Amino acid sequence: MIQSTALPPLAQPIIVGVAVAYFAVVAAIGAWATRRTRTASDFFVAGQGIGLWALAIASMAATLSGFAFIGGPGLVYTVGIGAVFIILPVSLTNAMGAWVLAKRMRLLAEVRDMITVPDAIGARYRSRLAQGLAAVAILIAVVGYMATNVLALGLVIDAIFGVGLAWGIWIGTLITLAYSVSGGILAGVYTDVFQGSLMALASVLVFVYVLEAGSGLSGISRTILGADPGFLGPWGKLTPLAALSFFFVFGLGSLGQPHVVHKFYMLRDPRRLKWYPLIMTVALFVTLLLYVGVGLAVKSLVVTGAMPALGRPDDATPTFLLRFTPLLLAALVFSGVAAAIMSTVNSFMSIGAAALTHDLPVAFGRRVGNELRWGRISTVVISVIASLVAQASGSLVAFLGIFGWGLFASTLVPALAIGLNWQGATRAGAVASIATGIVVTLVFETLAYFKVYAFPAGVTVSGLSLVASVLVFLVVSYLTRASEGAAIDADIRLVMEV
Amino acid sequence: MTGSSPSTGNLMTRPLALVALLVSTLLIAAAYVGALVAAVVPVWAPWALMIGTSTVMLATMVLGASRAGASIGRLTVPFAAMFLVLLIGFGAVLIMPAETASSPLWFGLPARAAVVLYGVGVLPLFVLPIAYAVTFDSLTLSEADLERVRAARRERMAA
Repeated sequence: MIQSTALPPLAQPIIVGVAVAYFAVVAAIGAWATRRTRTASDFFVAGQGIGLWALAIASMAATLSGFAFIGGPGLVYTVGIGAVFIILPVSLTNAMGAWVLAKRMRLLAEVRDMITVPDAIGARYRSRLAQGLAAVAILIAVVGYMATNVLALGLVIDAIFGVGLAWGIWIGTLITLAYSVSGGILAGVYTDVFQGSLMALASVLVFVYVLEAGSGLSGISRTILGADPGFLGPWGKLTPLAALSFFFVFGLGSLGQPHVVHKFYMLRDPRRLKWYPLIMTVALFVTLLLYVGVGLAVKSLVVTGAMPALGRPDDATPTFLLRFTPLLLAALVFSGVAAAIMSTVNSFMSIGAAALTHDLPVAFGRRVGNELRWGRISTVVISVIASLVAQASGSLVAFLGIFGWGLFASTLVPALAIGLNWQGATRAGAVASIATGIVVTLVFETLAYFKVYAFPAGVTVSGLSLVASVLVFLVVSYLTRASEGAAIDADIRLVMEV
Repeated sequence: MTGSSPSTGNLMTRPLALVALLVSTLLIAAAYVGALVAAVVPVWAPWALMIGTSTVMLATMVLGASRAGASIGRLTVPFAAMFLVLLIGFGAVLIMPAETASSPLWFGLPARAAVVLYGVGVLPLFVLPIAYAVTFDSLTLSEADLERVRAARRERMAA
């Protein structure tokens, strides 16, 4: 979910200057990382050599797309507190991810040379089919997710440089591609650290201006309560079922996001995971202040007449920044938006290329000769496909983007997150749950897209597919437990037991 | 295992967590089905979704934090606290009366929004990541654990 409509023109010298400086820093980091990328391990898992702070900040940057800065505040402006349920689980999910996945994923990389998330599934179940199916799900979701993010990046670049959307898409893709192809995930991680720091700084500064513009949080609340009390109700304009459904899907579903989970392989010292949830949670919390603050402040300013009503919700952040913050800060945020999108796109490039170069050949019992070279080629191919899709049609892109999160969640949460913590889980259960996630998500999202069937408010395809795949996983594993008694390798079993 | 390893002898932690995961997922499924088949979303559906989601999160955390044949030890307290925060927080906003223009504010927000944002959204931040760090050496990953895993790799490479 990211913004899909044009932004207001931002082509002012300070904004352009900050954006150019930002892209220059990204290019410099990419050039530095390129010299350090010599093997497939460097390209896909940064040679297992990154530190704790880099892991946490890069994961934060990859988690947040442009939606956190543009679409999210617009959604808060539209539906009120209900929109916060998308980010509400953040205080829980990082600790949950650390207990459920971080240690086990990192230890898997300790006992085997793993470079992808489907690698872990393949090793856990001794199943090339499960690994291949997971790779297919990741590839489908990656192209859709990347297309939406590349479209958003094109919109931001067009707004800043005035080059037109089509060129904005290609320029954004080429910049991200340049450092991703040459420096792989190593470049991605260190640009993510820079980009994540920029996002956090910009968010805190904007929040200060939010409080000033609205006369404090109490002032904002009083203004909105006087005009529209329901907006500040716990569910906002949503139904309780819809808001709680967001909490479920974005809470449990966070365990199935491969662009974040994949980064656990990269940590140099597994024992440094100790502080990962705290750093990651605080970083996310700080960066999401803008999401909540701008949406509420703009609603309050519109109520008082200090701002005209917005034509499009996505204009909330740009309009607030241009009217109520110094131009330099606005420039920083717009670069932060580009940063958020690029860091997410880079992560998708990496996991998509790994699925294509590594997992699918492994599923067919083969290995490519030079994974580094083919990884670079795959990165280009996936990026070009995603950019072409982004050029094609706004509604198609929105459709592809919608099911990305749900597809990741429904295919990876049961087989990976639960399966790595339950020795009774079976190969048949994993295959059945991944297949269920793919089929339920694609079929029902397609039916909804073509308006063949409309779900009642609060029932989402993402939620349904996640519930269905978890239940299928548990039931099929239970039914097939006798036939797969000891189908776990000794080293994998040890990782699951410590 | 080190001297401060998780308490052993409790073989039921993971099975109980799995049962809780299954039951809570069924509860969420019931909420969705109830909304799908009825003309109007049943009153019980948000309650089922709220209880199911809170329990799913708890069960998943317990499953991840427990080791084979061991209980979750000192983590029982923060996990129970988180579960209660979710249940009480969401339960409270489902039954509290709606605000009016003159309703009092709690730290700048109407009461129900404050419960959601500060209670469910912020409070666990001060509990779970800190509980993870404090218990990491004894309950999650000790030097001895890591050495066992590295020894397993050496054995595998030698074989």
